[in-house]
Amino acid sequence: MLRRLTILSLLLLASCGGQGNSEIAVSDAWARPTKGQAPGAVYLTIENKGGDADRLTGAFTDHAAMAMVHQNEVVNGIAKMRMAGEINVPAYDKIEMTPGGTHIMLEGLRAPLKTGDDFDLVLKFRSSKDQTVKVTVRKPDDQ
Amino acid sequence: MTNQRLRIILWVLVGIAALGGILLALRSPSSSSETSVATIGGPFILTGGDGKPFNSARLNGKPAAIFFGFTNCPDVCPTTLARLVKLRRKLGGDDAMSIVFITVDPERDGPAEVGSYAGLFNAPVIGLTGSATDIERVKKQFGAFSQNVEQPGGSYSVDHTASVFLMDKNGQFVATLSPEEGDGVALDKLKRLAV
Repeated sequence: MLRRLTILSLLLLASCGGQGNSEIAVSDAWARPTKGQAPGAVYLTIENKGGDADRLTGAFTDHAAMAMVHQNEVVNGIAKMRMAGEINVPAYDKIEMTPGGTHIMLEGLRAPLKTGDDFDLVLKFRSSKDQTVKVTVRKPDDQ
Repeated sequence: MTNQRLRIILWVLVGIAALGGILLALRSPSSSSETSVATIGGPFILTGGDGKPFNSARLNGKPAAIFFGFTNCPDVCPTTLARLVKLRRKLGGDDAMSIVFITVDPERDGPAEVGSYAGLFNAPVIGLTGSATDIERVKKQFGAFSQNVEQPGGSYSVDHTASVFLMDKNGQFVATLSPEEGDGVALDKLKRLAV
């Protein structure tokens, strides 16, 4: 009886543990090379393997004064870049940041980004714990 | 005799008037449809990445793709310029067309900034800047739009025309290239440009 209860409570604990636990995986983080004082843009893929939606609330790096999640859109032929606020990462889904869309802008880079360099970027989520990802500086795939 | 002479003169006048009318009728529709497009572009003098004046006449002789952007633009501008470099290679190589980047942010982008930005693509790209007045004039010539937008933290971003202006080898405007259209359509446009 006691053993049964223990197993049951352990099972319950395990199912509870799924929520808020790290179900988020960040991959393929890269940035274009930059020159001079120009800001950089980081692109990456966030995958949510869990059954609960999560939200990307911010990004931080020691490599730049500020890291901001930005969204681009073209409205009536005009390219606009805006702060994106929080990015929703739906359950069992993924967010792919690609050139021309969403990116993490790095302003006030400590040094221009050179091809082959890498640096750490911390992503903060509403439920999941912080994710540290290594960003590699390279040219886009098709260039 | 004088009567016949007068008649001939009158007929000649009628003939000239008719010919003039036909010519006008033939010309007016085509010229009016061309003016809207023909007014895009025109000669300009700006400043190159080396700090020296750059006369648009230097672009003559091969097609040119002209893009208005700014160097503090980390995503759309490098994406557009990298795409142009890639399309140009498909078209026949780095020599097939000039790629021109004109800043709409002359306040922050001097010759050094546009010069180094243009050097990011491992292929020839012409970076141009100028005084605020120069840039305003060229924007007007091309019908290009830009507007500074305050960003949190005191800096600013610039909203700007997303399309690229395609000019033929004589500096005549031919078409725009938009970021939404696929590479297939874009390449067709560029091929037509090179003819």
